[in-house]
Amino acid sequence: MVGAAEEAQLNRLENQVDNGGGGAWEYLCLVRKLKVRRSEKVLKHGLSILNDPKKRSKLGGDEWTLYEQVAIAAMDCQCLDTAEDCVKALKKKFPESTRVGRLEGLFLEAKESWADAETVYSSLLEDNPLDQVVHKRRVAMAKAQGNISVAIEWLNKYLEIFMADHDAWRELAELYVSLQMYKQAAFCYEELILCQSTVPLYHLAYADVLYTLGGLENLQTAKKYYASTIDLTGGKNTRALFGICLCSVAIAQLAKGRNKEDKEGSELSSLAAMALEKHYKQRASGKLPLLTATLRNLKL
Amino acid sequence: MAEDLVLDTAIRDWVLIPLSVVMVLIGILRYFVSKLMRTSQLPDAKIVKEGQVVIRARNLRAAANLIPLKSFRSRKVYYSNEENGLLFVPKGQAPNAQAQMFSDPNMAMDMMKKNLSMIIPQTLTFAWVNFFFSGFVAAKIPFPLTQRFRSMLQNGIDLSTVDVSYVSSRSWYFLNLFGLRGLFSLILGEENATDDTQRMMQMSGFGFDPSKGLSAEKDSLDIVQHEWALPKIEQRAEAVLRKFVG
Repeated sequence: MVGAAEEAQLNRLENQVDNGGGGAWEYLCLVRKLKVRRSEKVLKHGLSILNDPKKRSKLGGDEWTLYEQVAIAAMDCQCLDTAEDCVKALKKKFPESTRVGRLEGLFLEAKESWADAETVYSSLLEDNPLDQVVHKRRVAMAKAQGNISVAIEWLNKYLEIFMADHDAWRELAELYVSLQMYKQAAFCYEELILCQSTVPLYHLAYADVLYTLGGLENLQTAKKYYASTIDLTGGKNTRALFGICLCSVAIAQLAKGRNKEDKEGSELSSLAAMALEKHYKQRASGKLPLLTATLRNLKL
Repeated sequence: MAEDLVLDTAIRDWVLIPLSVVMVLIGILRYFVSKLMRTSQLPDAKIVKEGQVVIRARNLRAAANLIPLKSFRSRKVYYSNEENGLLFVPKGQAPNAQAQMFSDPNMAMDMMKKNLSMIIPQTLTFAWVNFFFSGFVAAKIPFPLTQRFRSMLQNGIDLSTVDVSYVSSRSWYFLNLFGLRGLFSLILGEENATDDTQRMMQMSGFGFDPSKGLSAEKDSLDIVQHEWALPKIEQRAEAVLRKFVG
């Protein structure tokens, strides 16, 4: 997560470097520290340092970090020649290093020579079977090739050991959703809610999955999670507001006849509709008629 | 009488400075030796997994009220059933730390290496200091101190009449031994400093048993009562919206 102050500093530095004001190295350091993805800029300014022997030697040991950073940025920009040069330079300097091995695997992946990358990764795993990065790369590789089910298999194997890794759970949830395996995805989102219970996006995604699954019980649960998203975001999440409306309509349809719960729920949905109207009035008043028509269709 | 004590400048040149220099050099040497001997120990998959299970179970316990009852129950069974639950440690199978140490020679070896790099140079330098410089005053602190500091500053001199601000050579050695840490962190980098005091603390903490963590976590998971928090949150959301709309 990048804080607002840090982002402002980053943008200021980027501006300065772009206009020839110097400070390229500081900019690159900040990019690395904040782990942001600005590959084109990194490639441009990093190369300008690397191609200047005087500037490069000034960095001392950090030169190799820069090589790594530029290599990854180059792969991101599909400048494979530059990436290859960087990886080669690193490999010459650190022939035994795992970190360079990973980078080489990444480069092979960028070249889409999957089989070679796989051999590199499996040899890395032989040295250290608990290398999290390599395991994740394998999942990413399967995903890049379009073998979602293989990716899921790898990811499940990874999660069997590193089961507290919430990023992996999130990835798995998204993969399951893309395969329309909603029950499994719901499990993953539950796991995410357990890990980080204050992130509204997980509540929202869980509610979405439950709503998609359908059924009275799931819909009621989904509505509750949309409500908790609203609670966590202070009513600012449009998707959750729409979710409440849709859920209460669907529940009303399913629960026709047994009208024991729809009374307490109706207030929340009408409030959500009002909040939506207010949001649209403030932000996009041109689309307000569209919204009112939709809400009228939903009989809210 | 104490004020008249004059320290020979030769003592400064041949005891005080050499002692400090030798201590620094030995510290640096020890750092490199221990760096050479250090084996990058690969963590055991089972231990890593157990740690992760404990974290996940702790998360479940902390946020249990945020997931539906059905999901909570299935997870609870998954963690703590008596057949193959993740947190269930069969009786008698719990590995004893002591036994594990004997069965795994690597572990004992590792400890010995650590100890060797710590103890051998220390005993050697202590013996060296004791042999060559024992029993005389090496320095004087420019401020007076109370009698309590006598054992700290005048180790090796059994004279009660000498003023406490005089430092004996052996005490100078001890002061260097514990006081050079800041200098080492300057020379060798922040975290590389050979820190004896910290290492001693680590030694005493040895023998942590992960399976104990598992069963403790299981016990606390067993007594967690599930009370779904979401219905209440629904009302809270209503209040939030009312405030927003109104």
